[in-house]
Amino acid sequence: MNYVGFVNQELKKALKDKKGVIVFGQNVGTGSCVSGLSRGIEKETGCRVLNTQNSENTLVGAGFGMMRNGVSSIYIMKQLDFLLLGIDQLVNTYNYIRVFKPSASFTILAVVVDNGYQGMQSSLNNLADFCSIARIPGYAITNRRDAEKIIGAHLVSPGFRIIGLSQRLFGRELIDFEQVISCEADGGWLQYTDGADVTIACFNFSIPQGRGLIEALKDKGKEASLFSINSSSPVEWSPIIANACQTGAIVVIDDIKSVNSPSVDLVARARGEEKIRTITHITRDFSSLDWLRPNADELVLNNKNIIHQALK
Amino acid sequence: MKKMNVSEMSEKAANDLLMVRLGQLVVNERYKNGDFKVPIHLALGHEAIAVAVSQTMEPEDQLVLSHRNIHYNLARSGSVKEEIDEYLLKPEGAGGGWLGSMNLSRKSEGVAYTSSILGNNLPVASGMALANKTREKESVVIVVTGDGAMEEGAFYESLTFMKTFGLRVIVIVEDNGWSLASRIHERRCEIDLNQLAKAFGIRHDTMEGNDIARYIETLRDIREWTMDKNEPVIVHVLLTTLGHWTMKTEDYPEGKFINYHAGPAKTVNIGDGPVIENSEADPVFVLKSRLDETEFDKLVKNQLQNLSGELP
Ligand SMILES: Cc1ncc(C[n+]2csc(CCOP(=O)(O)OP(=O)(O)O)c2C)c(N)n1
Ligand SMILES: [Mg+2]
Repeated sequence: MNYVGFVNQELKKALKDKKGVIVFGQNVGTGSCVSGLSRGIEKETGCRVLNTQNSENTLVGAGFGMMRNGVSSIYIMKQLDFLLLGIDQLVNTYNYIRVFKPSASFTILAVVVDNGYQGMQSSLNNLADFCSIARIPGYAITNRRDAEKIIGAHLVSPGFRIIGLSQRLFGRELIDFEQVISCEADGGWLQYTDGADVTIACFNFSIPQGRGLIEALKDKGKEASLFSINSSSPVEWSPIIANACQTGAIVVIDDIKSVNSPSVDLVARARGEEKIRTITHITRDFSSLDWLRPNADELVLNNKNIIHQALK
Repeated sequence: MKKMNVSEMSEKAANDLLMVRLGQLVVNERYKNGDFKVPIHLALGHEAIAVAVSQTMEPEDQLVLSHRNIHYNLARSGSVKEEIDEYLLKPEGAGGGWLGSMNLSRKSEGVAYTSSILGNNLPVASGMALANKTREKESVVIVVTGDGAMEEGAFYESLTFMKTFGLRVIVIVEDNGWSLASRIHERRCEIDLNQLAKAFGIRHDTMEGNDIARYIETLRDIREWTMDKNEPVIVHVLLTTLGHWTMKTEDYPEGKFINYHAGPAKTVNIGDGPVIENSEADPVFVLKSRLDETEFDKLVKNQLQNLSGELP
């Protein structure tokens, strides 16, 4: 099964007995149904699906308005870039509404268009920036395990959050892990492997890169602990720090384009630990304007160098 | 209808129309061949308005475009090669390989700004026109939007701005009745643009039928009017985006109509000639029906000769 097929299935599962929820957004009820994301929701769950006009500011505000009046909704957004048009609502409306602790749920499910070659105006992957601006809970979904956890816990629950999906992963075979060793209660991070040599923490949508690094480590006879960090804001890092204190090496991988990523916070925490001998923070290269040209838009790791640096 | 000799209409208009059509058909062949990584929105069926706008523009006039812009870029430049080189992200491309398709502009040919974000270009066009007014420039800004993009708040905000400051802007609304895979009635109420323009006190013109000679005449009149009155104008262009196909599904055993939005137009083949549809919806069909057949064939042959080097 591919990533989008699985997410679609999980959405339908989570909405099965939630008839009152309104699912809305551009093209959610026609054509490809946002590349298959919203396909079958109306038919299979009984939720109302509203195909809407192209008016993101209004649509974000309307989500809060429904919340104000006790109706839960999900706004499926084809591209995270378009949420820029709704920022006033994200901040000013949400700050008002949240004070009254609404019992209804509002979720923005945004596709992060990170599949490359879109150009400078259509490839924003900075989920963390949207979350930071009003301290909005935010989660990135990268694989079967975090999809189950995050959709199950957050898709419909009192309050507001943004859930990000990676367009790059849409058509790809769903990434799966044999087990979840531990996880943060809200799904802020999940641990999938436990190894003695290196701790790897993958932020935003960089779990495929983390898996690649694990394979490269295996070739060298080394084992790693792998964490996906799904939260777009800093969370309680202690278990990850404790793991890194044991391995003595942490590699933090982050494919986000933002300056403002929670990975910076984790790295700062790691710096204070004597037992962590090496900290490798892998981020994107912004040294020239080249990142604005249409390009593959993928964080490419030099695993050989990373392993060399981490195991120094 | 009386057949015309090409010199009786405008040889340039006829040639440009065919160039914009055949240039796109060449791009489509390359696209089907898998040559491009950037997403492209072809504008088959939109050629007449693009050529008419281009031929109406005076040297200082500026054009502001959106995601679907190939027709204007070709009409302005006449260079299919530079267009294709841009899509291949080559330095020789129209945007030096920096812009790809959805942001393609060409400063030297008066294409001043192009945005892939719906509604984004209207405020920019407004500002450009205000600058021109401040600097006492004798020129017009022409901004292109769509029946989908006009649902963005920026459309209404910009009309207010243009009218308030008495700006020379021609707002072209390319109305194909679709936004992605959603027809107008599937996503919103009808908006009567004529009444809307009236509410703003803005002149409104409707163009349909794809008669290139008439389009040029009308636009020249509109340009003169906006120069004289210092007022914006809305031009509502009714057109059809060609390149649809039918898809058989469980629910539609007979085949479901799939409109063309972006990507290769898989049912359109350059080998079938420049006409895609034998109706008024196709500007090239309209041209063909106006011209003497041998004249038309001669023009097509010349254009194809120029383009042969760009075919896959
Ligand atoms: C702010 C924003 N929201 C959504 C989109 C996604 N999108 C791209 S093209 C398109 C359809 C636009 O319809 P219209 O303006 O009528 O142009 P057409 O494609 O029909 O030529 C949409 C919704 C976008 N680019 N920008
Ligand atoms: Mg349209």
